[in-house]
Amino acid sequence: MTASSQASKGFSQRLFSILPALRKPRNFFFYILPFSIILGRFIPASAASALNDAGVTMVQIIAFPAIPLVLSAVMISISNIFSVAHRSSEDRLRFSSRFIVALIASLIFAALLALLLALYQSPGTLSPDAKLSIGQFMLDVTDIHIGDAAASESTVNNLWITKIIPSNIFADASSGSTLKVISGSILAGLAISRLKSDLTQPLISLLRSINTVSVQLLNIVLNLAPLVLICLIAGAVSTINAEIIVALLNFTICVFLTAIASLGISRLVFRRFTSSRERVEIPSNPVDAIFLLCLSTGSSMSAYPLMFQTLKGMGRDESEVEASASLSLLIARLGNVTYNVIAIMFALNLYEVGLTPVRLAEVAILGVVTGISAAGLTGVATVPTISVALLYFQVPAPPVLVLLLAIDPILTLTRAATTGTLAMSIAVIASVKSSSKNITHSDDTSLDLLDQSSEASVCQGE
Amino acid sequence: MLRFLLGCFVAVFFAASFFSPFPVYAAENVFINTIQERGYLKVGLPPYNTPPAYYLEPGSEDLQGFDIDLAQGLASKLGVDIQFDRSSTNLNQLVERVGADDFDFAIGKLGLTYKRLYNAFPIQYMSFRHALLADRKFVASLGIDPDDPSFGETLRQSKIKIGSIENSIWETESKENFPNAEFIGFKNWNAAKDALINHDEKSGAPIIDAIYRDVTEIKPIVYDKPELSLEYVPILFDNIIDRKSIYLSEKGKIGLFDFVDNYLKEEWGGIKSDQDILDEFESFYLASKS
Repeated sequence: MTASSQASKGFSQRLFSILPALRKPRNFFFYILPFSIILGRFIPASAASALNDAGVTMVQIIAFPAIPLVLSAVMISISNIFSVAHRSSEDRLRFSSRFIVALIASLIFAALLALLLALYQSPGTLSPDAKLSIGQFMLDVTDIHIGDAAASESTVNNLWITKIIPSNIFADASSGSTLKVISGSILAGLAISRLKSDLTQPLISLLRSINTVSVQLLNIVLNLAPLVLICLIAGAVSTINAEIIVALLNFTICVFLTAIASLGISRLVFRRFTSSRERVEIPSNPVDAIFLLCLSTGSSMSAYPLMFQTLKGMGRDESEVEASASLSLLIARLGNVTYNVIAIMFALNLYEVGLTPVRLAEVAILGVVTGISAAGLTGVATVPTISVALLYFQVPAPPVLVLLLAIDPILTLTRAATTGTLAMSIAVIASVKSSSKNITHSDDTSLDLLDQSSEASVCQGE
Repeated sequence: MLRFLLGCFVAVFFAASFFSPFPVYAAENVFINTIQERGYLKVGLPPYNTPPAYYLEPGSEDLQGFDIDLAQGLASKLGVDIQFDRSSTNLNQLVERVGADDFDFAIGKLGLTYKRLYNAFPIQYMSFRHALLADRKFVASLGIDPDDPSFGETLRQSKIKIGSIENSIWETESKENFPNAEFIGFKNWNAAKDALINHDEKSGAPIIDAIYRDVTEIKPIVYDKPELSLEYVPILFDNIIDRKSIYLSEKGKIGLFDFVDNYLKEEWGGIKSDQDILDEFESFYLASKS
C-alpha cells in the first residue's frame, strides 16, 4: 500500500469518526451553523446549486429507511396492542382512547397556540419597504401563463382523504405514499391481531427484523446529518434573498416562537405524565434532546429511535411506545399544523382580510386539516398544502407560496422540531408503564441492536 | 401633294421623337415617385405617448422610439425627409385615415383586427402576446388554481371588468376573447392603469378587475412598481397573439409593400416577438428591476 493511499484512508477514517460527534446539538450550534453561514456567504452561486443538490441527495438517503420503519413499526405494534391473546379489551380501549384523546388534544393545542402567537405577532403586516422587497423578488416568478403547453398540473386538489386509502401496500411503499402505507399497515396489524400466533409468528419475526435493520440503518445514515446541514444551510445562505428574510421577519419569529413554546409545553407534559421513578435513570429532560435532534437534522423521523429508546428505557410498554411514537410522528404532523395556521394568518394579513371569531376558527380547522395532509411529505413539499385553505379564503395562493418557499430552508428545521417534541408528548401520554402480562417479546432483538449502535444513540441523547 | 405633306409630318414626328429628350423620372413606381417628388414621407402616428415605441421626451418636440426609428429608416432609404401626423383621435381612426390615403403609411404598435382589414392593408413587423394585469383578489375569487389547465377557460367565461384604451384593438379583442366581460374604455393607457389601482372612493370596490394590452405594456407596470406584484398579477396569453402591423392604403400596398417588406427583412431583423423587444430595450423596461 502506498503512502498516499494510506494517508487518504487515514483521512476518511478520521472524517467518519468525526461525523457522529458532529451530530451533537451543541456542535451544531457552535460549529456547523457558523461554518455553514460563513461558507454560504463566500461561495459563488454555481457552487451553491451543487451544494444544495448534494444536500437534497443526502436527505433522500436519510429518508430511505423511513418507509420500512413505518410499515414494520405500525404493523407490529398494532398487532400486539389489539391481539386478543395478549391483551384484554380494557387495555386495548385504554390505549386507543388515550392515544386518540392525546392526538386530538395536541392538534387543538397546536392550532390554538399558533393562532394566538400569530394574532400577537401579526405576520403579513408589511412596511412599504418590505412590500417593495417582496415585489422585486416576485417579478416574473408568479406570472400566470395561459395556453402554455407545459402548464403544470394543479397541486391544490390533492386533499389528504384521497391519499389515505391504501391500494397495494407494496406499490404504495415503492411509490413513497406514506399515508397509504400507514393506513395499510394499521389494517394489516389489525388482521394479524385476529389470527393465532403460530400462524403470524414468521411474519412478525420478519417485520421485527426489518424494523431493527431500519432503525440501525437510520442510525448509520444519520451520520450524514452534519454534511446535509452544511450543504443545505450554505446553499440556502448563498441563494436566499436577505431582504426577503427581513421582510418576513415577523413570520419567521412567529414560527420560531411556536417551536419554543411547543418545547416548553412538551417538557411540562413529560414531567406531568411520568413518575419520578421513571425519570430516575434519565439525567435530563429528553424532550430537549429530541427538539435539538429534529432541529439539527430537519427530520422529525430521526427522533423516532430516541423516543422509542427513552420511553422503553423508562419501562413503558414497548408496543404502545412503538405505536404511539410512529403514528404521532407520521400522522399528527404538529409542526405542519402550527406552521400552516401561521402561514394562513400571514396570507390573510397580507391581503387585509378581516379577522372575525368565525374566521379564526376556520383558520384553526383548516390549519389542522392541511397540516395533517402533509403526512408523508417532507421539506418544501409540505408548503403547498396550505393552497386549499387560501383557495377557501379566496386569497391569492401563488405569491404567498413563493414567499414561503423562499424562506423554507430555514423554517423546515423548526417545523421538524415542533413535530418531534409534540409527538413525544403524545407518546408519553398514550403509553403506560409496562406490566409483565403485556410483555410480548421474549427476545428483545430491536433493543439489543439499538444498544449496539450506542455511539449514535449517545449522540442523539445529548 | 397631300401624300407628300403626310410623309413630311411623319418624318418630322419620328425625327422629333428620336432627337428631343423625354422627361426623366427617379422611379418608375408611381407611389414612390410621388413621395420623392413631394420630398418627404407622410407617416400617421397615434396621438399617444407609448415609450419605447413612440413618445415625446418631456420638454421636447422630438419624437423618439423604435417605431420612429423604423419610419425614419424607411424615409432614409427613399431619400426623403419625414413628417409625422398625430392628429388622429384614436387608433381605429388612424387606420381608417391611412386607408383613405391621408398618409403614406401608419405605424405605432397597431394591432390587427378584421375591422381594420376593411380599411387598410397590414404588414406585420412584431408579434406580441396578449396580456392582462389582473387584481389577484379577482383571480382568487374564480375559485380555481391558476396552474389548473381549465383556469384559462374559466377566466375567459368570467364576468371580468376589463379596462383599456377606448376605440382600440383591445376593445375589439376584449369582446372577442372574453364574451361575458364588461369592457370599460379609457381616454388613454394611464387613465386605465389609474382605474385598476385606485378603487371607487365611495364604495371602495374596484372600478375594474384587469387592464388589457400586450405583454410589453403590461409587464413594465410591475417592473416600474414592484410592490404592485403583491396585489396584481400579469396573465400572459401564450396562444393569443397580436400581430403588430404597419398599415398601407390600397395604392400604398401596390407601391410600397415590397419596399417596406424588404426593409423589415434586411434592416429590422424580421418579425420581432414581445420578448425580443423586452430584451432589446431591457434598460428601459427593467430600470426598476435592475
